[in-house]
Amino acid sequence: MARKPKSLKEVFTAGFFKQNPTFVQFLGMCPTLAVTGSVENALGMGAGVIFVLVLSNLIISLIRDFVPNEVRIPIYIVVIASLVTVLEMLMNAFVPDLAASLGTFLSLIVVNCLILGRAEAFASKNGPVKSMADGLGMALGFTGGIVLIAFFRELLGSGSITIWGDLALQLIPETYQISILVAPAGAFLVFGILVAQVNKIRFNKEDKQQQEVA
Amino acid sequence: MSVLAIAFGAIFVSNVVLNQFYGLCPFLGVSTKKSSALSMGMAVTFVITLSTMIAYVIYHKVLVPNGIEYLSTIVFILVIASFVQLVEMVIKRFSATVYSALGVYLPLITTNCAVLGVAIDVTVNGTGSSKILMAAGQVPTFFEATVYALGISIGYALVIFLFSAIREEMAAYPIKRNWQGIPIALITAFIMAMIFVGFGGIV
Repeated sequence: MARKPKSLKEVFTAGFFKQNPTFVQFLGMCPTLAVTGSVENALGMGAGVIFVLVLSNLIISLIRDFVPNEVRIPIYIVVIASLVTVLEMLMNAFVPDLAASLGTFLSLIVVNCLILGRAEAFASKNGPVKSMADGLGMALGFTGGIVLIAFFRELLGSGSITIWGDLALQLIPETYQISILVAPAGAFLVFGILVAQVNKIRFNKEDKQQQEVA
Repeated sequence: MSVLAIAFGAIFVSNVVLNQFYGLCPFLGVSTKKSSALSMGMAVTFVITLSTMIAYVIYHKVLVPNGIEYLSTIVFILVIASFVQLVEMVIKRFSATVYSALGVYLPLITTNCAVLGVAIDVTVNGTGSSKILMAAGQVPTFFEATVYALGISIGYALVIFLFSAIREEMAAYPIKRNWQGIPIALITAFIMAMIFVGFGGIV
């Protein structure tokens, strides 16, 4: 690419809105829909993705000069799978309840396209510091996205937000709760509506920019 | 649980896409045309069933006897990746027609979380996240695991085909710009998932 290299800050903040993995790039959609039944699970998943993505970007950018081009994808997958195994062991040891409620989706971080995608698109071409900034920014964008979805699902579906048992907030009386939103089917509805709203904001911004140019 | 109940449960009740959220990227990505959805469904059926069988044997004959179950994630993803590669080479060598229909979809399947997810569900978790395969603590037999994997993949193929048929029709109608593409597809999936909730009472 002929564009001039981005500054560290630009790299870090790209994932927050402009290239948000959840709402703009649609990467890693399985966990996006599966673990957003509660804010607690979404935060746990986000923490897991931050851990794996920052470290995998760091390791891959450190080994990028030694890895032969033909076998780079299998090598990235092994690096990511090892990190996920470490994460599984840590979570099972320190937060077993969270690990149990995330279930298979904890292991499925391996095939989360966000992580392999960043390895291939960014870490394999950039230095370790920038790669870590990119990993952290993207993972935070992902976490923000799934926590937002989980917030609406849990609030409207069960009327309250519960984080680690003690921080409960009963806001909506039982008569007005929409329980389908907490059920698996509701994930599609909430995510669909949120994507449409994000699109609206993005398109408005683009239109404004075009008008300014013209 | 009888084999029939496992199969029905895997296809409809805990449908892999609408209930368990496995394999959503190809579900939304490859479902704009009926023909490509059908090819994807067939490729997924083939790969999920066979790789689950392989994963089951490796888990129970290699990992468990040696006490290295914690390596299952790494081992499974490598097995699946090499298996997909092998299938691609075999198809390319023996059938040009099948290769032209399925070829492009095979590499995508490696990162389809349904394949790894089902393999982990029938081995490590034993029961599957939906608990339809076995009661907690029981280990499914090889045959039951295979029936479950086959059911799951038929469910995947069925839903992705129906979904693509709806999307093909929908493309003819005017939709507001910010709802086009993914958002309206997600709403469609929501309505399909609501319908599939109705199967829940049967098993």
